[in-house]
Amino acid sequence: MAITRRDALRKLVAGTASVAAASAVATVPLSTRAQAEEGPTVPPAAVGMLYDTTRCIGCQTCVVACAEANKLPPDTRLDNIHFAPADLSSFSKNIIKLYKPADGKTYSYVKQQCMHCLDPACVAGCMFKGLKKDPKTGVVGWTANLCVGCRYCEISCPYHVPKFQWEGFNPKIVKCEFCKERLAVGQQPACTTVCPTHAVIFGSREQLLAEAKTRIRQNPGKYFEDRVYGEAEGGGTQVLYLSHVPFGDLGLPKLPGESIPQKYLKWQKRVYSYLALPVVLYVAMVGVINGNFKKHKEHMKEEEENTGLRAQL
Amino acid sequence: MSDRWERNIPVYDVPIWTRPFQALLVLGALALGLVTYREIAGLGPASGMNDAYAWGIWKTFNIMVLTGLGSGGFAVGIAAWLFNRKRLHTVMRTALLTSFLAYASGLILLGIDVGRPWNFYWVLMPWKWNAHSPLLEVAVCMPAYAMFPLLLENFPPLFDWIHDKRPRFRARVEKAEKIMTRFYPWVVALAYLLPAMHQSSLGALMLLAGEKVHPLWQTPLLPLFYVWAAAYMGFACVAGSLLFCSLVWHRAVDLDVIAEMNKITANLIGYWLLLRFADIAVSRKLGLMFQANIYSGLFWMETIFLVVAVIMLVDSGRRRDAQLMFHGYLAAAFGGMLYRFDPTTLAFQPRPGAFYFPSAVEILISVGFVALAIAAFVAAAKAWAILPGPMRLWKSTEIKTQDEKAPVGKISSYAPAGE
Amino acid sequence: MSREEKEDNTIAGHLKRSGVSRRDFIQLCGTIMAAAPVGLMLTKTNSLAQVVKAVGQAKRPSVIWLHFQDCTGCTETLLRTSRPDVGDLILNVISLDYHETLMAASGKQAEATLNSAVKENAGNFVLVVEGSIPTKMNGQYMMLAGKPAIQVLKEVGSQAAAVIAMGSCASWGGLPSADPNPTGAVGVDAIITNKPVVNLPGCPPNPYNLLGVVLEYATMKKLPALDQYNRPKFAYDRLIHDHCPRRAHFDAGRFAQQFGDEGHRQGWCLYKLGCKGPVTHAACSTNHFNEIPDVWPIGIGAPCAGCTEKATAFRTPIFQTVDIHASTPPEQYPGINTPVGNIGTAAAALAGAVVGTVASAAFMASRRLAGSNVLPPSSTDEKKDKPENTTVGD
Repeated sequence: MAITRRDALRKLVAGTASVAAASAVATVPLSTRAQAEEGPTVPPAAVGMLYDTTRCIGCQTCVVACAEANKLPPDTRLDNIHFAPADLSSFSKNIIKLYKPADGKTYSYVKQQCMHCLDPACVAGCMFKGLKKDPKTGVVGWTANLCVGCRYCEISCPYHVPKFQWEGFNPKIVKCEFCKERLAVGQQPACTTVCPTHAVIFGSREQLLAEAKTRIRQNPGKYFEDRVYGEAEGGGTQVLYLSHVPFGDLGLPKLPGESIPQKYLKWQKRVYSYLALPVVLYVAMVGVINGNFKKHKEHMKEEEENTGLRAQL
Repeated sequence: MSDRWERNIPVYDVPIWTRPFQALLVLGALALGLVTYREIAGLGPASGMNDAYAWGIWKTFNIMVLTGLGSGGFAVGIAAWLFNRKRLHTVMRTALLTSFLAYASGLILLGIDVGRPWNFYWVLMPWKWNAHSPLLEVAVCMPAYAMFPLLLENFPPLFDWIHDKRPRFRARVEKAEKIMTRFYPWVVALAYLLPAMHQSSLGALMLLAGEKVHPLWQTPLLPLFYVWAAAYMGFACVAGSLLFCSLVWHRAVDLDVIAEMNKITANLIGYWLLLRFADIAVSRKLGLMFQANIYSGLFWMETIFLVVAVIMLVDSGRRRDAQLMFHGYLAAAFGGMLYRFDPTTLAFQPRPGAFYFPSAVEILISVGFVALAIAAFVAAAKAWAILPGPMRLWKSTEIKTQDEKAPVGKISSYAPAGE
Repeated sequence: MSREEKEDNTIAGHLKRSGVSRRDFIQLCGTIMAAAPVGLMLTKTNSLAQVVKAVGQAKRPSVIWLHFQDCTGCTETLLRTSRPDVGDLILNVISLDYHETLMAASGKQAEATLNSAVKENAGNFVLVVEGSIPTKMNGQYMMLAGKPAIQVLKEVGSQAAAVIAMGSCASWGGLPSADPNPTGAVGVDAIITNKPVVNLPGCPPNPYNLLGVVLEYATMKKLPALDQYNRPKFAYDRLIHDHCPRRAHFDAGRFAQQFGDEGHRQGWCLYKLGCKGPVTHAACSTNHFNEIPDVWPIGIGAPCAGCTEKATAFRTPIFQTVDIHASTPPEQYPGINTPVGNIGTAAAALAGAVVGTVASAAFMASRRLAGSNVLPPSSTDEKKDKPENTTVGD
């Protein structure tokens, strides 16, 4: 007997109803939902860097110091003579770029390196936690033996920071790791140590936020929008920027107040919470298919008898 | 005798070793040779990928697009087993084989695309997983699907062949089939759950890219759109392949079955388009559709192809017009492929000044893997009972029988009489 | 000569006896402070008054100067000093007891002078050597009064308080040691191994390098801090490149491409003409020669030949560019968004071919599908209304 559409629909509705009920019970418990709305937590010993474009003279000592401290060869690909990285790359974890508007007016240098976000998109996407945020200092570090080289971090980082070694057969992901070996022995990162004008300084995130706000207060109108970039951008970052030109001109993206993982992976987390929904769906499907399969087997038997040929599953 | 598709029948009388088949193998061999180059020299020299476009066509096309096309097993299967469209059972083997080959070639190429594949063993250790990562979901679910339920579902044609051509193993095959039949619903349900999960996760991948994806594509519904697109792309691939293969090998086409697929595909696409427009309208992005730039161009190209597909499929189903059906499925496949490709590459702009085009080596490797999959399909369709056909094509006298009046009963078509 | 000196052998005393006024003496010390490169203990810590006192109280050191396989360029460079003036120098500041070019004696008299100078100042004199020492064929390529250079050096050197190798030839073999080194020329420290030898490479080196070492030794009784090649750090711890007046042109990428071209005339960086500045340790960038500013190779538009460096001078071709070991950032900066990615021609052609193939296959298939005689007729019309074999949603 052929099943009618009505029967099939009835079965499916029943199945779906049970699924809906179960998932409503099993989905995100209230506590985690509340936490999700507050914003990322700041690690207890969160380190930070404050970069002030009004103090940077573009000497690039930080670029050289970073390369030395991280034992990276100088990026001389431009002309084989000068240490002239064109962008962050597998050769450069830190770079100075120049924003020079066409009208020749206010220009600015900008230092680019990892922002060490409070809720990094790269960490959220990394399959086996190859990129991990240190729970105390908040430094986002990379571990070679956990990285598969899938480059999802490059896709997800809004600041375009992680870079891949495109040459050779043992490629790594290269990005600023806050000189964590130096931090471990009580030193500052290489770049902040050598900056001759203290354009980039090191401290705890708290201290630096306070310092940045003091500078803003003492110099009203000097800094763009009288605020510090990184306080809340994308959930907040540990590298903060004060600038006299629009942040967007320096390549600092306009990001929502929520962190990227929080904003974009909300539903993923809910749907897969405790794997409840998939399991319930699975059980429901087994039920339906079982029923249909029984009838199919009978049908196959009939065919075998009619045609004299082995049934094809 | 009617020309209804009643049985899966090998393509008889056509040798496997033809010129086109050889050409496909050459392309495949070339690709494998170039893979060696990629392994030694690295991804940079072997591809056009760069730090701004870190994912190239191996990921964005061979995986994200082609496994969408290869969702026939998933889509047609759900129609047949969950919604009881019995007529579609005859095309199940074709659907399952296209799925398996699309997944196999895609996953192998994925292993070649990642930079540090030797660290992939962590996938076997759940405590090491970052459970929230959509890519992890894909990395666990896709291989699991391809290596377990999808592979198992592809065993029956192989079992049939062994049962007939290798009588020694007949008993073992029958035992295996018995076990399979017992657990079949569990395996099949898994074969629908897993693709639903990972095809949607493929969409979720681009969520983390945030504003790098153009707002006409970036939406929280991206996973839903991706899995839904996989559904109609799967139908398009199966129906299109059936029409194409029937043409090439002069096989009868049961236009009733195809017409049924038309209906389902048209519905899937139609509601998908409605939801897409609704989503764009609700997020107040309607204005973006009418800007004079390449993004609105791509959006309209997708949309027009899909709308045209719906029209063609409905009309050709009604009139039983094979050529229009073929056009309809081509349009549906192309629209779906474009939709799944756009947010990853064409509508993906990480920053001004960034550009990507695959290198020659990259294209050759991609094409070569597709060629190998096609070659495998062709060989299987000729050697095993995969493609559907009318009963009259079944060669029951392939092996010489001593007694022409062989008793009717449960005789295998290949067995010599009297065994 | 020597008996008189023993009464008051200090420099101050001697200068006084020579009639040099105190004022002139102070001026002399002042010029030494200014001219002697930074890094001497003598001039580092002290005020002029302290330097005057120290120098004044120093005994005039006895200096014996030997020439071996040399061109006398190192002596010539010494002659072109005026602070102090050479006459002052060799007569008042030091006691130059043997110098083949400058002394009046010759022949047997000269031989006697050497022997007596060594004997009388044994253990106290400073030996300055100019020129390399041949070692092949028992050192017969350079004979002094019938003795091979090796022997002379060993004999005299054994009696010296301090040994200074003046010039590249004496430091490491110099020009005579260039391939194929037919004489087996070596530097002083290959022969004298039992006492410190201060190397002052250069072809010639700046004479103030020598003066600095001698005065430091005379006043502080110590040799200045030396690097791993025994070169005084005050003169050899920096690269020409790091203090070059044309460095700004290097950083800005302004290079002379050919001798006499516009860039060369403008005084641009000579790196592309083979300047060895980036690999050469010397003080020439700041201490020019002949006491005229810009009189030094790069200053007159000739690329540095790396004359102090054993690995470079007379080995690396003069106009061959060297690798920069410590690259530094240029004057140009990258923009905020650097363009990346392009289409290769082969790739574009290939992509076109693939698309074309697929499209034409689809097109041809579609055309053949149109003719209904291609497919065997499917019996669709008759069975449409039959309930049998129809399923849900027909």
